Amino acid sequence: MARRTAMLIDIKRCIGCLSCETACKQLHGFSPDPEPTLSDTAFTVVETRGDKFVRKICMHCENPACASACPVGAISKSALGPVLYNADKCIGCRYCMLACPYSVPRYQWTKLAPYVKKCDLCSERIKAGVQPACSEACPAQASVFGSRDELIAEAWNRIRADSSYVPHIYGLEEAGGSCVLFVSDVPFEKLGFKPAPTGNQPMPTLTASALGDSPKVVIMGGTVLSALYWVTQRRREVALAEAEEKATLNKIKRERSQP
Amino acid sequence: MIARIRSEITLWRVIVAIIFVTGIYATYLRFLVGFRASTNLSDQMPWGLWVGLGTLCGIGLSAAGFGISAAVYLLGMERYRPILRASILISFLGYMTVCVGYLYEIGLPWRFWHPIVMWNHTSVLFDVCVCIMTYTAVLTFEFAPAVIEKLPWKRFRETVLQYHHKILIGVVLAGVLLSSMHQSYLGGLYLIARGKVHPLWYSQYMHAMFYLSAIPAGLALTVMAIYLSMRSLNVRVDFGILSDCGRLIQLLLIVFAFFRVLDLAANQAWGYAFQRTSEAGYFWLEMMLLLAIPISLLSYEHVRTNPERLYWACAIVVAGFMVNRLNVSINALQAAMGTHYVPKWTELASSVLVIAAGVMAFRYAVIYLDILPKATSKPLSRWISNGGLPAQA
Repeated sequence: MARRTAMLIDIKRCIGCLSCETACKQLHGFSPDPEPTLSDTAFTVVETRGDKFVRKICMHCENPACASACPVGAISKSALGPVLYNADKCIGCRYCMLACPYSVPRYQWTKLAPYVKKCDLCSERIKAGVQPACSEACPAQASVFGSRDELIAEAWNRIRADSSYVPHIYGLEEAGGSCVLFVSDVPFEKLGFKPAPTGNQPMPTLTASALGDSPKVVIMGGTVLSALYWVTQRRREVALAEAEEKATLNKIKRERSQP
Repeated sequence: MIARIRSEITLWRVIVAIIFVTGIYATYLRFLVGFRASTNLSDQMPWGLWVGLGTLCGIGLSAAGFGISAAVYLLGMERYRPILRASILISFLGYMTVCVGYLYEIGLPWRFWHPIVMWNHTSVLFDVCVCIMTYTAVLTFEFAPAVIEKLPWKRFRETVLQYHHKILIGVVLAGVLLSSMHQSYLGGLYLIARGKVHPLWYSQYMHAMFYLSAIPAGLALTVMAIYLSMRSLNVRVDFGILSDCGRLIQLLLIVFAFFRVLDLAANQAWGYAFQRTSEAGYFWLEMMLLLAIPISLLSYEHVRTNPERLYWACAIVVAGFMVNRLNVSINALQAAMGTHYVPKWTELASSVLVIAAGVMAFRYAVIYLDILPKATSKPLSRWISNGGLPAQA
C-alpha cells in the first residue's frame, strides 16, 4: 500500500506571507493577484481572522462526501491521500459542491464547458516524490507535507512542546478524518472552523441508511403490491363469474316465461 | 382583415408568445453564452431554481401517475379508471420537462448519458438519475397505447396492444416501486448537506417527507388539469371521482402533516419556527398553504362537491407544495452558505418555457387522443372495465 500523505498547517506559525497562494497560482498558470476566497483560479487562499491567518484548502477527507455524492464517480480518494477529480467523467451537476461539508469545490461559471476546480494536493508532484508547491514555498514551516502518521505525531509534538497550542488537531477525526490537518493557538471555532456536521462520523454515513433501506423497501413493497394485485384479480374473476351466471340464469328464466 | 387578425389575438395567446420569446432567449443565453449570463448561481448556491422548480416540483407534481395506476391496476379501484390516462399523461409530460430541464442544469449537457454507464452506487443523485430514466421509459410504455390505437394499421395495432397488455401489470408494478424510490430520493439528495440545510427542513427522514408530500400534491395537480380540461376541452368526467380525489388529498395531507409535526418535534426543531428569521416566515407560509388551509377547506362538503372550489383548494395544495420544495432547495440553504440567492429572470423564463411546452402538449393530447371521455360521444367501453359486467352484477 502506498504511503498515505498529508499536509499539516500550523496557524500559530503562519505569517500570512501568501507564498503558498502565489506558488499555487504560479504552478497552475493563474493570474498571480491574490483573491479573497477560494475560486476556480485560487485553490488555496490565506484568510485573515483577527491577527491570525487561516489557509483555506481542500481537506482531502479520508472518506469524502463529494466522492460519495458524485453520480458518475468522477471524484475519488487516491491511496496516496489526495481526493482527485476526473474531468473526463464529470457531467457538471455540482452535487459535490452541495455535499462538501467545507464548501470547497468551485465551478467555472463563466465557461461554456465548465468544470469543477479544487486542490489536488499536487498529486502529480507527490507521485514523483516532490512535495506540493504550497508547502515547498512556505518559509515558516507553517505548511508541512509528509506522511499522515508522521505529521500527526509532529502535530502532537508541537502541541506538547508549546502550551499555547489548543490541544486539538482539526482534521484528525473531523468527519472521519482528513489529509489536511490544522493546529492552532486560538480555539478553532473562533477562526471560523465549523465542527463537522457529523462529528467524527464520515459524511457518507448520512445517506448510507436511506440508500441501504431501498432493497428492503423494494422487496417488501413488491411482495405486498403483488399480493394485493392477486387479491384484486381473484375478486374480479369471482365477480365476473357471478355476473355471467346471473346473466345465464336470467336468459333461462326469460326463455321459460316465453313458451 | 385587420379585424380578423385582431380577434385572433387573445390575452392567453399573448402570454404564450411572451413565454416562448423570453424562454427561447433564455435558452440561447444558457447554451451559447453560459451560466454566468443566464443564472445567478454561484459557488455558494450551486443549485437554484432549475433544481428547485424544474426537478423537485416537476417530479413531485408528476406523482399522480404512479398513484392512480397503482390504485386502478394493482388495487382494483376501478372507480378511478376514467382519470387513469390523464394522470399518466401528466406524469409522462412532467418527466419529459424534467429530462429537458436536466440538460439546462448540468454544465456539460452533451454528457447527459454518463450516469447510464458510469455508476456510483453510493450517490443518491445517481439513483435519482437512473430511477428517473427508467421510470420515464415506464411512463412512455404506459402511455403508448393512447398513440398506438390511433395508428391506421389494424393488424399492427392489435398485435402490439396484445403484447402490451400481457406485460402491463409487471411494468406498472416496477413503475410504482421506481417512483416510490426516486420520489423519496429527491429528498435524500439533501441528506448529505447536513449543517447546510436549515433545521426546520433537515431531518434524517427527509426522503420520507418528500415521498409523503408528493402524492397528495401530484393528485391535486391532476384534479386541476382535469377540471381545466372539462372547462375548455370538451371532455366530461364524473365529478364524483374528482370529489373523491379531494377527500383522498385531504387524507394524504393529514398523514403528511402528522409525520411532519412529529419529525420536527423529534429533531427539536420547533424552537426555530418561532424565531424572527426569514426561514421561520417561509416555514409558516409552507405550513399554511400545504397543510392548514387545504386540510380545513377540503373538510367542507361544499368545497369538495363544487368543481370551482375544489379546483382552488387543489391550487393551494400545489402552491404550498412548490413553496416546500423551494424552501428545501433554496431558502433552507442561504443562511449556512452565507449568500442571498434571487433567481435571474432567465432561470425562471427557461423553466416556464419548458413547463408551458408540457401544458400545450397536454392540451393537444387531450384534443386528439382518447385521454379523457369526450363529452359529445357515447362513452367507449374502454372507460368501463370488462364491458361493465362487474358493475351490473
